[in-house]
Amino acid sequence: MVALTRRGQELGLLVWVAALAITGSVAVAAAEIAGFRPQQLAVPVSFIIVAITLHAFLATRGIRGDQVLLPIAAALTAIGLILVQRLASNLLLQQLTWSLIAAGAFAAAILIPRDLLALSRFKWTWALVGLFLLVSPLLPVIGREVNGARIWIGFGPVTFEPWEATKVILVIFFAAYLEEYREVLSHPPRRFGPIPVPPLPYLVPIVLMWALAMMVMVFEKDLGATLLFLGIFLAMLYLATGELFYTLIGVVLMFAGGFVAYHAFAHVATRVDIWLDPFAEESRFGPSYQLVQGLFALGNGGLLGAGLGNGMPDRIPVVWSDFVFDAFAEEVGFAGALALLACYLLFVYRGMLIALRAPTPFLQLLAAGLSFIVAFQTLVIVGGDARLIPLTGITLPFVAYGGSSLITNWMLVALLIRVSDVSARARGSP
Amino acid sequence: MSRPIASNIRALAFGIGLLFLVASIGVGYWTLVAGDELSRDPFNPRLVAALRDRPRGTIVDSTGATLAESAKIAEGYKRVYRDRTLAQVTGYASFQFGAAGAEAAYGESLVGQDRADPLAQWRARYLRERDPPGSVVLGIDPKVQKAAVDALGGRRGAIIALDPRTGTILASVSNPTYDPNQIADPSTENTAWKQVNENNDKPLINRATQGLYAPGSTFKIITGAAALESGFDPNQKIRVDDPWQADKSWGSYFVRSSSHAHGDYTMADGYRLSENIYFAKVGLQIGGQKIAEYAQRFGIGSTPKCDLASAKGQVSRSGSLDRPTLVADTSYGQGELFVSPLQMALVAATVGMGGVMPTPHYATAVRDAAGHTVRVVEPGAQGQVIRPETAKALTVMLVNAVEGPGAFAFAARIQGVHVAGKTGSAENPAGPPHGWFVGFAPAEAPVIAVAIVLENTPRGSEDAAPLSPPVMRAALHL
Repeated sequence: MVALTRRGQELGLLVWVAALAITGSVAVAAAEIAGFRPQQLAVPVSFIIVAITLHAFLATRGIRGDQVLLPIAAALTAIGLILVQRLASNLLLQQLTWSLIAAGAFAAAILIPRDLLALSRFKWTWALVGLFLLVSPLLPVIGREVNGARIWIGFGPVTFEPWEATKVILVIFFAAYLEEYREVLSHPPRRFGPIPVPPLPYLVPIVLMWALAMMVMVFEKDLGATLLFLGIFLAMLYLATGELFYTLIGVVLMFAGGFVAYHAFAHVATRVDIWLDPFAEESRFGPSYQLVQGLFALGNGGLLGAGLGNGMPDRIPVVWSDFVFDAFAEEVGFAGALALLACYLLFVYRGMLIALRAPTPFLQLLAAGLSFIVAFQTLVIVGGDARLIPLTGITLPFVAYGGSSLITNWMLVALLIRVSDVSARARGSP
Repeated sequence: MSRPIASNIRALAFGIGLLFLVASIGVGYWTLVAGDELSRDPFNPRLVAALRDRPRGTIVDSTGATLAESAKIAEGYKRVYRDRTLAQVTGYASFQFGAAGAEAAYGESLVGQDRADPLAQWRARYLRERDPPGSVVLGIDPKVQKAAVDALGGRRGAIIALDPRTGTILASVSNPTYDPNQIADPSTENTAWKQVNENNDKPLINRATQGLYAPGSTFKIITGAAALESGFDPNQKIRVDDPWQADKSWGSYFVRSSSHAHGDYTMADGYRLSENIYFAKVGLQIGGQKIAEYAQRFGIGSTPKCDLASAKGQVSRSGSLDRPTLVADTSYGQGELFVSPLQMALVAATVGMGGVMPTPHYATAVRDAAGHTVRVVEPGAQGQVIRPETAKALTVMLVNAVEGPGAFAFAARIQGVHVAGKTGSAENPAGPPHGWFVGFAPAEAPVIAVAIVLENTPRGSEDAAPLSPPVMRAALHL
């Protein structure tokens, strides 16, 4: 029998999420020609019920610790539902279904494994599972190619992007591995001037893991995932060793690799070229059409936006996946876009706080790594949408349309809450 | 013990916070700072969106006759264009493909938020209220336009006529043309768009302002201006023997005279008989730097300050004239020169106006729905390009080039009016030469300046000069 915990703050915040979900949905519906119909409330209301159920589930399972992450993740998912309703209403029920499944995955990750430290014990198993997931889209029968990137696996009508799961598994593996070897890595026996010469044998497994990830990405042609894996690798190495030099080398290698890829792969060169000059006459109706339309959408945002349902973000091709941020910014303006970014930053800082309070290096690295994923994905896609960096097809966590991303991100939230639960128990606080 | 993980976490979190700040600034730039410019982009569907939901303003010519207007269709509104010969001038406005021509350049005015009216702009941007659209008045004179269309007669090329006193463009023809109605009509837009874009003749390009050609002998006006202002004596006789090279270092390269001339030439003779060797020698005497400087003064190599899209052309690939053969070739209008008909019309207008270059413009006014003038388009003169006495001397020689004995440009004569002008044949790798004529009339107080290009015409300049009189007559009301 587990004791009930008081998660009053969480419930209070969820009331705000409910208000957000309902007003957003009504605003979008009201701006449509058909106008608002009461049955349209079914979607936000079911989502609110799901979120409150998750809250009740945490309370009845006696989970302690963080009470902010669940409401933020719910708010972001609600924004995602509002935007799918706005931009691709035919996908709305599908997205709602995905969020129900994601809630299920969240609950499962709260329960299994019983002991969080079991994650670190089976690190080599994780490495193998991660590798298998990475390679799986290349396998016959289950591998699928969509829009030139071979990053999908499918069973009948159900398709999944395995790299979404790989990113979490990668963090678990790195956290476990680095916990064991961080002392050796951060105190290399030799230094070459200021340059640490790491004990190579200990670096081999992680470098190998990383190199394999890169190679697979070359074959699957997914720049976003490649960048994310690289980011995770460098961030985890830095978190474990505090050796900025490793990170610098990694960044230099990344630029070198980018330079080679620019010259070797047409799809990389195109991405960079349209980033440098999206408005060029020869590309604005071709490869950079999507980006240019996205920038037009941003430009129409102004301070307060066109109002939900009143902009024209639907002129951006496939807006609901990579350009959902621009669509959001057009209709809620700079103010709304800042608020969205603030939600992410809050999420990340809560995650980092959990990491700071975690009792073991493994849990610290795990929580920090998971928070980093959300931060990095947000920065890469928002940076791409706002033409700060070349655009890569990476999802805006919780908001962008898609099941794989929603499910893994909710499992990520579950893991963070579990880490905070462990530290709360260790400290004996509620 | 190594550095505690906690301090690494703090450092990473700090870095992430900084990057979020950078991202926010980036988003702020696009939403707040760049918004205005993006909203004016002719390809921004938001500006064109007014098309679908509400009528756009009309585009009318100088007599008030409608050239473009909106018509109601099932999906909302579409644009209807009345004059195919002005396809590149009115342009098109399409929900799918954006806008071009005046539809693009005056896009805001046509949706009721002219830039002269900040209040209307502000209301449109922040309150989404737009005034009912008014009209954009073009300076196109239908009589001159028709004369130019008839003169060109469907041949590939361009004619541009402008009023040298104001810079108002009176006629603008670019062949081959296309039907903007097809692009504006949602039922035909896709096939029409594909067709005009795959057409190797590039009908979407306004050859009058964007077509780039070697100027041929019409460029000698600039060479002459540079020489006169460098203290060169136009009456000094220069020996011409065809073919000619400055020295043996030119190898097998010679400048050739189109009349296989042998004799002593003054500058007036040089213009009248369009003598390449004469101008090559003049160019070498005053130097490539001077030629390049005057070409640039006349606006070659920089985008004309025109309200519709215009090409900038080039003096040479590098922008300077450093090799003797290049100086010689450039001096009589070949070399690596590229100019647009608009640029050459401005050269003629400048000479006619005593050295003052007008600013070209297609539109003359923007009116609101009630017909009141919101804004008058009168950009004024661009400034003194050459000295009045240089312009006067050139005018005399250019009149002689049309009216003098044996003048190459005799076909440009008009009974009872002094016409100043210069023909040109532009050699090009694509086949027969392009024929040119540029000129203005009446020479003593011009009211019209023209530039005519006939692409790949068998007799070059001889084919182009006869096109000038009907166009000038229409403007002179003869």
